[in-house]
Amino acid sequence: MADTLQLLKCGVRFEPPTLVLSYKDWKSGKLRRRSMPLRNFNKNTGIDRIIEDLNSNPRHSRFIRLLSSAQLQRLLTIVKDKLSGLSLEASIARNNAMDTINPEENLNRVDPETLQRKKLIMDTSFEQKRKKPGDPDFQYNVEVDFETAVVETSGWDSEESDMDF
Amino acid sequence: MAENTQPDYDKPGDEGEERIKVICLGDSAVGKSKLVERFLMDGYKPQQLSTFALTLFTHTTEVDGKKVTVDFWDTAGQERFNSMHPSYYHQAQACILVFDCTRKITYKNLPEWLKDLRTYRPEIPCLCAANKIDEDMSMTQKTFAFAKKHSMPFYFVSAADGTNVVKLFRDSIRAALAYKHNSTDFMDEIMKELENFELDPKYNSKLNQDGTQRNGKDSPDEEDVDREAKDDKNNTTDTGQS
Repeated sequence: MADTLQLLKCGVRFEPPTLVLSYKDWKSGKLRRRSMPLRNFNKNTGIDRIIEDLNSNPRHSRFIRLLSSAQLQRLLTIVKDKLSGLSLEASIARNNAMDTINPEENLNRVDPETLQRKKLIMDTSFEQKRKKPGDPDFQYNVEVDFETAVVETSGWDSEESDMDF
Repeated sequence: MAENTQPDYDKPGDEGEERIKVICLGDSAVGKSKLVERFLMDGYKPQQLSTFALTLFTHTTEVDGKKVTVDFWDTAGQERFNSMHPSYYHQAQACILVFDCTRKITYKNLPEWLKDLRTYRPEIPCLCAANKIDEDMSMTQKTFAFAKKHSMPFYFVSAADGTNVVKLFRDSIRAALAYKHNSTDFMDEIMKELENFELDPKYNSKLNQDGTQRNGKDSPDEEDVDREAKDDKNNTTDTGQS
């Protein structure tokens, strides 16, 4: 059965920790709000476990699916930051930094949490552009020759006198 | 003990087929796993060797009518330590070096990866891939000097829409086989496709590198090896002189 739900807004409540979604049900034409209590969530809880619980909850999973992994991870991290005593402002600043891709930032050196978040952001974009088997324009072997089209340098080679380059 | 979990790529596989090892290198989040998954397609479950923090994708194919088992090695996050465990390079016959064309830092780190690779595998063929061109197609209109400078074939690829992924991996398999069979022919062929290419002198000495593999004798006239001499070496059993 086709899903008739469309996510409009998502957010969290802190007391008690709750995930809140606003959505439109196109079947009934109604705007609705769903609150999902995040039980047994404290500052030591792993976010992966909370996500697993939500996904395996038969009453919630249909709504959880409306969120991207990146969004869900972000919302739960904000709740966890709050439980750990961080201010909302500080948490949002921290989460914004984790959700921003900086082309100059060396991701080999960031902590595992930051790397995971940045990968989720990239994955969201990847999934949007992805061509899968079954898609009308999917082809297994796609060969494109760009060699003849080269018109300018990337500018990525010229800035410093890098011995290795 | 740990070594036992790694196949021996110098020996044939269970059915007598040829076994080769192709490794992926490059920064975190450049899309190495996604590229291998795109080549092998959905539903493929890789083998996790947690001892080494690596992921092994086994692929069986035919090259020129002969069965070949290829293991693609993926880093599984080990790149976060900025260098790989030596076992990652052990017996590798080709390398796919990947950067993210939307993140300059991943391109700037290529020399480090190449240095690491050449410490352990001085001569294996290395193919360079600029991934995520789907994010910014204008990058395909640009030149990147690194690959040409190091005489590597270069590919604009997208793990998302599939552009040139199959070509990249098929070329890597052929390059690995060519290396294993002690021939530079295939790499020469790829090199010819590159504009104004200058063959790295290192490739000419490939014949005598890695003494563990073949006759092992360092030839004093190594630098004089030319195409004819290579053919001789491949076709004769005279390995006596040194």
